[in-house]
Amino acid sequence: MPKVTINDRTVEVPVGTNVIEAGLLVGVQIPHYCYHPRLSVVGQCRMCLVEVEMGGRKMPKLQAACSTQVEKDGMVVRTDTPEVKEAVKGMMEFLLINHPLDCPICDQAGECGLQDYSFKHGVAFSRFQFEDKRTYPGRERIPLGANVVLNMNRCIQCTRCVRFTNEIAKTGELGFFNRGARTEIGTFPGKELSNPLATCVVDVCPVGALTSTRFRFAERVFYLEKKPSLCTGCEVGCNVTIEHRRGNIKRYKPRANPEVNDYWMCDYGRASFERYKTVPRLTAPRLRGEGGRSVPVSWKEALDAAYKKLRGVDDGFARSGSAPAEGAIAILGSGFLTTEEAHLFAELADRLGTPHRAVAVDLGPEWHIPNLKGGITGREAAPNRRGAELAGLVPGASGMNAKDLLEGDGAARCALLVVADSDFGKAAWDEATVARLRQARTLIVFGWADSPLAKAADLALPLATHAEKTGSFVNVEGRVQRFTPAFPPPGLVRPGVEVLSELLARFDASLSGLTPEEVFAHLAEDVPAFAGLALADLPATGAPLHP
Amino acid sequence: MPSFEPVLTRNVGRKEALTLAGYKQLGGYEGLAKALKMDPDAVIEEVKKSGLRGRGGAGFAAGMKWSFIPDRKNKDKARYLVCNADESEPGTFKDRLLMENDPHQLIEGCAICCWAVQAETCYIYIRGEYTKSAAILEQALQEARDAGILGGSAMDSGFKLDMWLHRGAGAYICGEETGMLESLEGKRGQPRVKPPFPAVVGAFGAPTVINNVETLCNVPHILIRGADWFKSIGTDEKNTGPKLYAISGHVERPGTYEYPIGISFREMLDGCGGMWKGGTLKAFIPGGASAPMLPASSIDIKMDFDTVAKAGSMLGSAAVIVMDDQTCLVRAAARLAKFFNHESCGQCTPCREGTNWMELLLSRIEHGEGRPGDPDLLMAVSGNVGGNSLCALGDAAIGPVRSLIKTFRPEVDRHIAEHGCPFPERRFFAEGA
Amino acid sequence: MSEPGKTISPTGEEFSAGTPTLVADRPRLPEAARKEIDALRPRYPTTLAVLLPALHIAQRHWDGWLPDAAIAAVAAELGLPAATVYGVVTFYDLYHQKPVGRHRIRVCTNLSCQLRGSTEIMETLKSELKVDEDEVTPDGRCSYIHFECLGSCDTAPMMMIDDEYHENLSPERARRIVKGLP
Repeated sequence: MPKVTINDRTVEVPVGTNVIEAGLLVGVQIPHYCYHPRLSVVGQCRMCLVEVEMGGRKMPKLQAACSTQVEKDGMVVRTDTPEVKEAVKGMMEFLLINHPLDCPICDQAGECGLQDYSFKHGVAFSRFQFEDKRTYPGRERIPLGANVVLNMNRCIQCTRCVRFTNEIAKTGELGFFNRGARTEIGTFPGKELSNPLATCVVDVCPVGALTSTRFRFAERVFYLEKKPSLCTGCEVGCNVTIEHRRGNIKRYKPRANPEVNDYWMCDYGRASFERYKTVPRLTAPRLRGEGGRSVPVSWKEALDAAYKKLRGVDDGFARSGSAPAEGAIAILGSGFLTTEEAHLFAELADRLGTPHRAVAVDLGPEWHIPNLKGGITGREAAPNRRGAELAGLVPGASGMNAKDLLEGDGAARCALLVVADSDFGKAAWDEATVARLRQARTLIVFGWADSPLAKAADLALPLATHAEKTGSFVNVEGRVQRFTPAFPPPGLVRPGVEVLSELLARFDASLSGLTPEEVFAHLAEDVPAFAGLALADLPATGAPLHP
Repeated sequence: MPSFEPVLTRNVGRKEALTLAGYKQLGGYEGLAKALKMDPDAVIEEVKKSGLRGRGGAGFAAGMKWSFIPDRKNKDKARYLVCNADESEPGTFKDRLLMENDPHQLIEGCAICCWAVQAETCYIYIRGEYTKSAAILEQALQEARDAGILGGSAMDSGFKLDMWLHRGAGAYICGEETGMLESLEGKRGQPRVKPPFPAVVGAFGAPTVINNVETLCNVPHILIRGADWFKSIGTDEKNTGPKLYAISGHVERPGTYEYPIGISFREMLDGCGGMWKGGTLKAFIPGGASAPMLPASSIDIKMDFDTVAKAGSMLGSAAVIVMDDQTCLVRAAARLAKFFNHESCGQCTPCREGTNWMELLLSRIEHGEGRPGDPDLLMAVSGNVGGNSLCALGDAAIGPVRSLIKTFRPEVDRHIAEHGCPFPERRFFAEGA
Repeated sequence: MSEPGKTISPTGEEFSAGTPTLVADRPRLPEAARKEIDALRPRYPTTLAVLLPALHIAQRHWDGWLPDAAIAAVAAELGLPAATVYGVVTFYDLYHQKPVGRHRIRVCTNLSCQLRGSTEIMETLKSELKVDEDEVTPDGRCSYIHFECLGSCDTAPMMMIDDEYHENLSPERARRIVKGLP
């Protein structure tokens, strides 16, 4: 492989590597706007100009690093010469002369390409003093679609957004119009930017020309804490960053994972955290007393009551397998359970000897996320049906399945029905389904949402959302990915593993105080798909399960 | 005034040249007939030997350009010739003369080039405004097809050759090689990043030669009369052959004149009747809007590629614009800055923003709002544009500005000091004229 | 349009997928135009390459300019995204996006013509037609604009009307020519 030297640091790179990428390998950050590793190279912004020497001869003009490839030995690049610095300063000046000083009102402040490079590569004063800035009257806040707003005055014409819609989303809604200093981006008059990945153009836009309608003016980005996590919108499992301020999630941004979502995520997933803020939450355990009213109780009271009910049913009927039908215990989980939580529910089902255990998940619209391997398509509207099933929530012989419980009258045959994750899809909000589930003599609901289902329960136990706990999800391609909490759960709410471990400890003291890592280790011993894996050691891009 | 037997313009004025039969009677298509009997590589060698340099503005050795086409014997790979008939450089009108008066000369030249590089398809990209030339060329092309010169077997040689006229739609940047290719392919005429060069990746991804109309019109003559004959015309072995000079502005008889390349500007001026209305020469542009302006003291300069380059300008398209001493050069430069701003494709930062800024600055100075720091600012801004842009338009745009300030600084300073143009407003026509 | 904070159900309902195009339903090219375009297709190895000729043809059929419906029709005919075609139309000076007069006048005002009086020709047209440049006369007869170099610098000042060059102008000649346009 050829070697290239950048600012006196030498590295060997595959043939065809461009100088920007080579620079990153040796810690040299070459400024750029129009270049993006997943978009075609256009060499337009001219920020990445560098001095290139080939075989001892300096090239007469500065070269754009993005469009200069390392083909053979002997390339020497410098980014720190006075000539290069002057050129980059010049490019910065050109970009700023027509750029509005919108920083005080612009969403991008704090994560703005112009601000960052201006600080590092620009000058602190303007020579554009007696001329008028170019503006695009009437195009200062144009909705390009439901989720993206354009301020054309701020655009630096890098064309990343246009290339995104043409090359990644492949829907071609955006175009580059007019010529010269009047160039602008836009949609065909009357058409909208409406592809499922639309808001990705806001991600790729280096400045505040394209902003997200849902995030506009929501928060200053430098007040946001950014924690890595996963999206729970569907089974693709896009990697995200949860950006929040003191537990109030303000936005998701996609996090690069070439094995799953690459640099992208869909608008639906991007908005999926909003449920956590608009749906009322269970804030404390709630127990229905003798008179039929539900009252808040302490965790000890709640778990004691749960254990009593489970044991009570258990004594006498459930264990024998030839239990009278009305004595059945069923556990109905959802695709929103983490693998570890599901495994503990399965453990509970084992202790109770019941074959009635299943995972319910809704089918949603198809979301296709492009990556370099043809992309991933998700149809299930929850992140972890596979993980929950692999962890043991699959009906045993003659066990009831999700359909029996949700659509049939399986619940009527239950002495006790445990539903895990109260926000599991349409069912928890559908009167008829809730009524059907309510037919169980005792209904225990675990989850974060105070849905009609939770309200109908005899015992409702508040669990943390995925943003508030550690766990793993298995995506549609059988890749297990770990996530950690962005912030702690509020008040009395607790992570599922903690709660279940405490409940199980009442059956078997050795199961007390389990961590998600320990549960995962257990899983790795029991289930061949997880053999050899450890939660804390999962690679950053996740790990494919054994087939 | 040396007398010179015209080569490229020999048929201008002869109506019969417009028909295929007439053109043949005048000796036409003998060059193609000869070439088709030669080995294609031998044709390239002959053109190389002649020293023919591109007549579109860049002055690149034509034969060498043709030899860059790889793998010419591979019949399974496509190759193209694109004839650059976009002629939009201000001051240039020589290609139009050739196309409207001797269309078959161009067709013959293109055909010979296609044979040399084994390209089976040629597109003549003509600027959309040249409707008359396009009509004449279409007719000539159809005649050539009907006569079997173009088509499945060019002149019965077995060589398949298609030649199509492709009209542009009004953009100077489409005269840039890769801008032209983009436009031909149906896109915005935005130049491509180079490398790869068109000889490797050109039209539709295939190796492509792009040559100017005048360049290709020389080719039949090189084939018939030989490279040595061609080399005997001109200044030295790097500046050979006949050259069309399009002369306009303040001369008595503007027009297209054919001379051996390297004629002096003084002789050229005499040849078109001297200064208009006996005026005094102040400045002239030797090669189109991109060429830096030269002062009257350069009047004896030899108008070939290398001499003009050494003088700090460029021969370019040999579009000579002459300005007398009633001309405000600031106004002239400002008009050219406006042109470049209008024609910038807008892709790259320095050209898009820089040409805009330069027009604004020059306009301010022209209208009396110039400030003392402006000339230095113009030099700084143009210095940041030149050398940093994606294509040569950025380098071209700074020509007028920098030459104005370097060579005619007093005029600029007067505008600033006097808060206005020191020249009286010029009216060219009397009342009721 | 958007409603920030709107709840989205886990199964994706209520999620706006955008409104359909507001351009004319099923925009189609006139049959004659389609035939002309089809005749040119074999000349090029790609469909996209027919775009510039196709736009010239469409413009002729739409009275010399390209309304959005025409652009959408060409895009549909060639199977291209409308935004791409719009980008091409707006790039070039010979594609017009607003109505033009029956006669389209382009006056060159670049350097060689400016050196020989193009400014006065523009003034003449303004006084004769009584509209500003880029406007259409009330009777729809003429519109005029200044233009860049048209390649006729030796006959400056000059102008182009429709497909013809009118060279060696004087204000009086220009006035006569324009008056005589039907």
